[in-house]
Amino acid sequence: MCAGARLGFLLLAVTLLGGCEVRPDRTPEPTSSSAAQVIENKGSDTMVNLALAWAEAFMQIYPDVRISVTGGGSGTGIAAMINGTVDVANASREMKPEEIASARANGIEPLEHQVARDAIAIVVNPANPISQLTLQQVSDIFVGKITRWSQVGGEDRPIVLLSRESNSGTHVYFLEEVIRLGDTKSHLLFSPETLLLPSSEGIVAEVRSNPNAIGYDGLGYVTADQKVVAVAREPSGPFILPSVTTVHDATYPIARPLYMYTCGRPEGALDLYLRWIASEGQALVRELGFVPLK
Amino acid sequence: MSRQAIQRLGFAVLTIVAVLVVAPIFLVVAVVVFRGLQGISWEFLTAMPRDGMKAGGIFPAIVGTLLLTSGTALVAVPMGLGGAIYLSEYAHDNWLTRAVRLALVNLAGIPSIVYGLFGLGLFVLFLRLGTSVVAGSLTLAMMTIPVIISTAEEALRAVPTEFRTVNLSLGGSRWQGIRRIVLPQALPGITTGIILGLLRAAGETAPILFTVAAFYMPQLPRSPLDQTMALPYHLYVISTQVPNMPGTIQYGTALVLLALVLSMNILASVIRTYFRRRRQW
Repeated sequence: MCAGARLGFLLLAVTLLGGCEVRPDRTPEPTSSSAAQVIENKGSDTMVNLALAWAEAFMQIYPDVRISVTGGGSGTGIAAMINGTVDVANASREMKPEEIASARANGIEPLEHQVARDAIAIVVNPANPISQLTLQQVSDIFVGKITRWSQVGGEDRPIVLLSRESNSGTHVYFLEEVIRLGDTKSHLLFSPETLLLPSSEGIVAEVRSNPNAIGYDGLGYVTADQKVVAVAREPSGPFILPSVTTVHDATYPIARPLYMYTCGRPEGALDLYLRWIASEGQALVRELGFVPLK
Repeated sequence: MSRQAIQRLGFAVLTIVAVLVVAPIFLVVAVVVFRGLQGISWEFLTAMPRDGMKAGGIFPAIVGTLLLTSGTALVAVPMGLGGAIYLSEYAHDNWLTRAVRLALVNLAGIPSIVYGLFGLGLFVLFLRLGTSVVAGSLTLAMMTIPVIISTAEEALRAVPTEFRTVNLSLGGSRWQGIRRIVLPQALPGITTGIILGLLRAAGETAPILFTVAAFYMPQLPRSPLDQTMALPYHLYVISTQVPNMPGTIQYGTALVLLALVLSMNILASVIRTYFRRRRQW
């Protein structure tokens, strides 16, 4: 467990707070032994339902292991990892060098495990006649250079932009790889008109009901009542729809790895869990609409 | 228009306003009860969630909320009551007391998310309690203590001064007077205040967001250092984060939370009326 000296600090806390009545009635096992091991898992909202499915299936096979899953966004998970309050941080983006530096300053060495892949689908309302866009057009739309659907060959309606908020790994990935087209020197930003929604479900709901909306979401969140737009790197095409196949052969341009970070080399049940995710757990990845590792 | 007509018009407007205020409450309760009842079953109340929380029950969330509320009571009731007795019975009117009172008024007005962040900083990170039942209970207790202090102080002050002076004239000490006369008389008011304070704690999402709540944890916490699921947060996540969530589960969860909070509320009013009837002054 990352937070090693937790119990000692608890006792200190109890004394500090004037002996308030909350005390541990049972001392938790400090290390992984035969007793139940707790794995605290926090982070990416894109991954939260996948992490939940993994935890549920794993605990059916190993009832001794206790796994808790919490969302909040990749940033939330990484911050918790830096503070040493979780065992596993889920992130839909890589940890930034400064984040790794702050973790090291706290004596934590984050170790990256790639656990699945995800394609980001560009979604519009089913009533929208647009079915394909180039990356450049998507970028122009989201920075506010293109403001009406007629400018990309659609009806003469305004474009309503939807995005996740900035602690979302999906938001950061979309900004860097789509809006800035992977150019690290670019300073393009989301248009100030963009509506920031707190969850992938929020984007799904808005796209479903608003014929002018355009949004982006992990492939796992795409449902039949949204229209997925085919995307091309170049104006000449080819325009590709996101799917397991097009992510694996790298023809679909907006795909990314999903990560779990642990503090140092995982041991005991955590090691078992991560290995299981990389092997048998991959079946669930496909079931939930994400892309398995291989 | 005659004066009577103007008066009738005025009353009509006031009635409409009163109805408009009450209508949404009835509407909310009606919708939640009507749609929620379809989701309620023995399994729903006593089973662990299954299939990505889209099936099974909400048992761990119910237990989590009860645990957090009890933990909050354990800390907030003694501290709140102690503070109230001090302020009402012992404190002199000096700058310190005035500062304490000012702080209480302001603490009661702080948005709950600020308590959540404070709890994250103090309990979770600085005291290294981690996201845990202890950290969540302490955070909720901090939010509840000002409510308990102000209502309890109010109830203590409502006990007539004569009760205290008669006690002193008969040779009783100040503490004997408080312990045997003032406190029992103020008890119904204090109990109501405590229940209302805890009620607010039970229904809050923001303070537990960073300090204890787990998105998914299909077991009961085994130690106070474990995370737990909780009803308000569970309702939030199944409404915003899980795709294709059945409405029966969402409304069922809302109904359980509402029933829990309303029943505590009703308990508070029953206690209040019961004691008020027995009061002889």
